[in-house]
Amino acid sequence: MYPRIEELLPFYVLDALTEEEKELVEAYLAEHPEGRAQVQDLQSGASALPYTIAPVEPPRQVKESLMRRVTADAQARERSSARASGERSPRGLRFDNLFRVLSLGAATVAILWAFALHSQVTRLQDQISSLNEQVAAQSQSLDELIRNLPQTEQSDIISVSLKSTETQPRALGQLIADPNDQSAMLVISGLPPLEPGKTYQVWLIGNAPVSAGLLTVDENGQSVLIITSEESIGSFTSVGISIEPEGGSGEPTGEIVVLSDL
Amino acid sequence: MSQTKNASDALMRIKSENTLSDAPDETLVMQVARGNSAALEALYDRYASRVLGVSLKIIGDQTLAEDILQETFWRVWQSAATFQSQLGPFTGWLFRIARNLAIDAYRRRNVRPQAFTGANGSDPILEAMPDPDMDVAEQAQLSLQSQRMRKALDSLPGVQRQVIEMAYFYGMTRQEIAQATGEALGTIHTRARLALQKLRGELEREEFEG
Repeated sequence: MYPRIEELLPFYVLDALTEEEKELVEAYLAEHPEGRAQVQDLQSGASALPYTIAPVEPPRQVKESLMRRVTADAQARERSSARASGERSPRGLRFDNLFRVLSLGAATVAILWAFALHSQVTRLQDQISSLNEQVAAQSQSLDELIRNLPQTEQSDIISVSLKSTETQPRALGQLIADPNDQSAMLVISGLPPLEPGKTYQVWLIGNAPVSAGLLTVDENGQSVLIITSEESIGSFTSVGISIEPEGGSGEPTGEIVVLSDL
Repeated sequence: MSQTKNASDALMRIKSENTLSDAPDETLVMQVARGNSAALEALYDRYASRVLGVSLKIIGDQTLAEDILQETFWRVWQSAATFQSQLGPFTGWLFRIARNLAIDAYRRRNVRPQAFTGANGSDPILEAMPDPDMDVAEQAQLSLQSQRMRKALDSLPGVQRQVIEMAYFYGMTRQEIAQATGEALGTIHTRARLALQKLRGELEREEFEG
């Protein structure tokens, strides 16, 4: 079928065909296994040709020049890759972590709020239908937030559910933190506003309790507090909230309303 | 502590280098495709003298041949991901890059190629080349291998050898070879086929006889 194509095969293996001839040969080879076998035989002879030439040791500077070029290119690729993956400076990373913490915190606030709203609706079933619509809307927001959660959890950030004590059984909260970072977000609800002269104080507890800040709740018993610490959050074993005199204490002295392991 | 770490790092580096120097070509190319410059260096150490020899044979100019050598391995670095081992060995791909670069450079210069071979079949240009950074033992082994290969090539009838050298080293088409030699195209086809078949047979016999 291709009587003359086979005559081209030696020149095909010698890489000495025009582009048009090469395409013809490759089309032929694609359909003719016997042609491929011939090429394989001829190839073993052609592949020896470079070895018939005496090797010539290149000067050292050729390799040095090549490797300088390669190293520069490799570094450029790394920089490009780093930019593409959103890698930032350590300072940028800290802001990034904080941003993720804030994002996750906002999501948790919405979750807690949605929970609160939902329970209110349950208690007030006879209220107007517009409230139900509002709940539905919030549920939709909650779903969206939950769907988005995996994206924000690609880092090492953890979210710890806080446990209330018998003193304040309705207290509900989350601590969102990167264990390697020194900041975290505390989101709390269900804590009643305190009488004047008293305050909630947050404690990070390792070998000893360390104050992580004072907490003031709104009329709905909700609050968000950004915690900063000298040590990484992961170096503590527990987190707690106690009721202390206004201005806070050096160590917990009042009732413990929240206490959870990290 | 720091000294221990330095020693450990040095051992790991030496181990890695040894592993690379022993690795098959195809493994190294895969590493190069992943951006491993040490793998490229290993391939360079393995084949640079061969590539320079071929380039010099084609272009006949030491400086240009060295440029082609560097450009060949630069292309390996940039295009390693496109290498397909199922289509043939790495050396075929490597020499094809070098050869095509050299032939293109030769055509740009528009000068005559070096004599195909000297009267006794030797290559006067290559024999005159100094090897300033030569690893003597390795070079001797490569030269010995080349001599055996050259012997196989020289065992071919001159007219057959001429056809495959004109095609491979100088990138001449079969029509150009026919015109240059004054032979019919069919004769050129036959000579090329016979030359490659005999070369293969000679190499197998050479390998068999050691």
